[in-house]
Amino acid sequence: MSARPESDPTVLRAAIRDTGVTRWAIARAILAGTMALGSAVGLAAVSAWLIAKAAQMPSPADVALAATVVRFFGISRGVFRYVERLASHDAALRGVVTLRERAYDRLARSGARTVLGLRRGDIVARMGADLDAIGDAVVRAVIPVGVAVTVSAIAVAIAGALIPLAGLALGVALILAGVVPAVLTARSARIAAVAGTRARAEVTAAALSAMDGAAEHRVWGTLDEADAALAGADRDAEHAHELAARPAAWAAGAQALFQGLAVIALVALGVLAVRSGDLDGPSAAVVALLPLAAFEAMGAVPAAVQQYFRSAAAARRLAELTAEDAPEPAAPARMTGASSLVLDGLSVAWPGAEPTRPVTATVDAGAVLAVVGRSGVGKTTLLTTLAGALPPAAGTATLGGTEVSPALTGTTIAMTAEDAHVFGTTVLENLRVARGDVTEDEAWVALALVGLDAWVRGLPAGIHTELGPGGRTVSGGERRRLLLARTSLVPAPVLLIDEPAEHLDDSGASALRAMVSRMTAEGRTVVLVTHDLSLLDLADAVVSLDD
Amino acid sequence: MKPLDPRLIRRIGPARRHILVTAGLGFLTSLLILAQALLLARMLAPILSPAPLDADGLGWWGRIVPEGARSLATGLALLACVVAARTAVQWLQERLAHRAGVRVVSQLREMVVSHVVARGPRWGASRTADVATLVTRGLDDLLPYFVRYLPQLALAATVTPVMIVVVLGLDWLSAVIVVATLPLVPAFMILVGLVTQERSERHLEAIQRLGTRTLDLIEGLPTLKALGRERGPAARVRELGDAQRRATMGSLRVAFLSGMVLELLTTLAVAIVAVTMGFRLIDGGIGIETALAVLILAPEAYLPIRNVGTHFHASADGLAAADAAFTLLDGADGARERTSLGPAPALRGATLTVAGLAVATPDGTRLAPGPLTFAAAPGTVTALRGPNGEGKSTALLALTGLLPLDAGTVAVAGAAVLRDDAAVDEPSWLAQVAWVPQRPDLGPSARTLSLGQRQRRALARAFESGRPLVLLDEPTSHLDRASRADVIARMRALADAGATVIVATHEAEVLAAADAVVEVTATRTEVAA
Repeated sequence: MSARPESDPTVLRAAIRDTGVTRWAIARAILAGTMALGSAVGLAAVSAWLIAKAAQMPSPADVALAATVVRFFGISRGVFRYVERLASHDAALRGVVTLRERAYDRLARSGARTVLGLRRGDIVARMGADLDAIGDAVVRAVIPVGVAVTVSAIAVAIAGALIPLAGLALGVALILAGVVPAVLTARSARIAAVAGTRARAEVTAAALSAMDGAAEHRVWGTLDEADAALAGADRDAEHAHELAARPAAWAAGAQALFQGLAVIALVALGVLAVRSGDLDGPSAAVVALLPLAAFEAMGAVPAAVQQYFRSAAAARRLAELTAEDAPEPAAPARMTGASSLVLDGLSVAWPGAEPTRPVTATVDAGAVLAVVGRSGVGKTTLLTTLAGALPPAAGTATLGGTEVSPALTGTTIAMTAEDAHVFGTTVLENLRVARGDVTEDEAWVALALVGLDAWVRGLPAGIHTELGPGGRTVSGGERRRLLLARTSLVPAPVLLIDEPAEHLDDSGASALRAMVSRMTAEGRTVVLVTHDLSLLDLADAVVSLDD
Repeated sequence: MKPLDPRLIRRIGPARRHILVTAGLGFLTSLLILAQALLLARMLAPILSPAPLDADGLGWWGRIVPEGARSLATGLALLACVVAARTAVQWLQERLAHRAGVRVVSQLREMVVSHVVARGPRWGASRTADVATLVTRGLDDLLPYFVRYLPQLALAATVTPVMIVVVLGLDWLSAVIVVATLPLVPAFMILVGLVTQERSERHLEAIQRLGTRTLDLIEGLPTLKALGRERGPAARVRELGDAQRRATMGSLRVAFLSGMVLELLTTLAVAIVAVTMGFRLIDGGIGIETALAVLILAPEAYLPIRNVGTHFHASADGLAAADAAFTLLDGADGARERTSLGPAPALRGATLTVAGLAVATPDGTRLAPGPLTFAAAPGTVTALRGPNGEGKSTALLALTGLLPLDAGTVAVAGAAVLRDDAAVDEPSWLAQVAWVPQRPDLGPSARTLSLGQRQRRALARAFESGRPLVLLDEPTSHLDRASRADVIARMRALADAGATVIVATHEAEVLAAADAVVEVTATRTEVAA
């Protein structure tokens, strides 16, 4: 949980401003919504007047207009509601598209350290569900509250025009029916965010432990303990939910209470006004029956408050995604020519993690450095540091005498991570990720280099075959080779390759050999992370991170 | 779609109780709405009637509200009681709904988890992602179902019929209008649904496809950054987003139609009731007290139905979650019946022989391990060696007896203890087996420990258990050099003290400490067959 919930309103407001949704678009949707719920208020008011007037047995012509208006309101409610829903969703969807583009652009421009440190699940959740939640703030919070305010104003105006005191009473009751449940719902949402989130985390841990560790629990006879832990976590979660549900129940009660009080007050005022001769009967009926329809719009307030909290949390997570470091300077110059990569007492770590043991090595242009070490020791972190995306924990990494920096990431020092992304597009476009102007011939050469040409020829549309999103339709070995082919097309003078041996069979390893020798023949520097000790003969130098 | 899952009622106690309570509260609410409407009619009639009221305009229903309510003081007092009662019922309804909702979620969660635990390791592994999502997040969709949807459903089932019966007693013509329009609501909604189904399916498909592509592009951002190519796709993100927006709006234009039909029919019917009563009042065909009561009651008959429509999504998501849980609970468990070989023989001092042990992979294409044969004598360390995925861990799991064999026999001192169709009694066997898997779990409290810490604790538990058969899966992973040496020494000491140790490993130091090394290899199913 964030330590600064008080900054939420500003963060959400900034996010909504970023959606570029105009005041006019919101006003249009509120107007349509007001017409819809205003029709309900109008229907109640005019039909009350019609019945009361008709009771005085006038000529039918005297109520003909009222009868037409009643029928009109009977139709307009549904029609305007349809218009409002379309208008509000259209505004929100346009806003989300704009916000997604801006967020993507901001993220792309932010520092290499931020981007390379992103976890795949995080980025998808932030740019997907969280962006949608910010759009929902428009549809489910801003517009309903706006409609509640305008419809209430109309109802108060009608009542006030007939009996000023009734207008006042209705206004007070409407404000209370909006504000009191809103405050209570906000309290409920805050409790749920703190106690509820903690309790949920406990339940998740207990449930996953009971299932993942099921075999262990059976062997060691601790099944009952695991069950008890889950039951205990469930009871705690129920208790946390109970705490949050208490204000929510009061909110529901408060709405009924204030509407009821308004009904009582306006009936009394209407009857008294007729008895004292200040008002005719039909007008008094309008005043007395108005509260039955006027509170519908306020009923949407608790849901709007809940949506507000969800959207604010989403906006905060989105802001945290890009807020970490300053954007890097634009358009870094690509370094060319032969320069040595020098690791001098270099020790690396992500912030807060244990630094690796210091390593020292010099790799000349056209040479290969291999990095070995057991899993989890920090080999990938070392590559990320060499790419310039992460400052060293100690020591230095220099290329041609200048320290590596985020400005070099990608352009001068390119990296292919172990989990590098295969895009849901054609084989050729996936290779063009390395360089936009890769020709088909160049692509075939690269595929042949890694021994993937036969496989691609066997695909339904050859090199133009679409791969599934995330490359999930290709096997682990094919994916690896495709990434190697892509890396071979990258124009950068220094290539960092995170290469786990798991998915490469023997012929795959020979593909890697072919690719690396081609790169070194071109005078490029290659840094290779590997588990496979048989690949070490490729390397001109080897550093081990094991102690 | 069914509004209620019968399995929820039959099998989940809190759900059954809550549905009864909600129905009761719904009926109470309908009585309070009725009383409020009749009171308002009573109070307003005297000031609207051109002549003094003599007859009771509410007929039989007038018994609920005495004629004395025509006086302002009595009427207001009674109205205050009704308002207080409605407030209390609203409060209680919300309170009980939340409470019942979380209970149902907890109970279903515990049922699913114990079901998964009872099914054995393989069964859970193939479904882990789905089950984990269901248990940790999916079932929470039942909360809005209980808090928002069910109460409205209860009101639709109680308030609407009560209102129709009362209106029928007051003014049959208005009742006819209400009763005639009610079936039109579902009829038109189904009609709209049928007409637009193909269109909305096409839209949904497009929306999903575009959404996947956008996220695919976004997911690849770190890769693009690492290759210096991150600036280009922002425009493509916008293009895809715009296409997705157009497709979504296309589907919403259709989807919102049924909502419009619902609102249109219900409000129009209320308007028609008001207008017809207006003209009959002029003719003297209906009394003002009666007309007021009907005017107030008619919208109340439709309100719950409209609300049920509004909370349709809460219903769909909640029922989908319940269905997922029950499908899981009722699904074929795939567990083979194994006949009992009686209590396990004592392992201590006896040689364990494994002959032709094989377990099929979940997809059934390979046996991993393929037929595996070795003997492990007390006082020795046997190492299982082989590349990843060949079945070392599976072999150890099969030796615990938790994973049924697909072929082969495990015997102790010549007596079979595990076969593909039979096994010794589980507790008597497991009491003699110590097993340390990769990434040991140790329960929820240990989840905050690092992998290395958990590994050390799990190993200590095995070393100190005194159980005669010790199965260790990659015991030295996640450990530093000093701890590794310590683990190997303790493993050796355990064997020297008479235990049978079987260890799956690829570490040279562990292999060096073993008395025998067994190669584990997988085979393709057709070769094996």
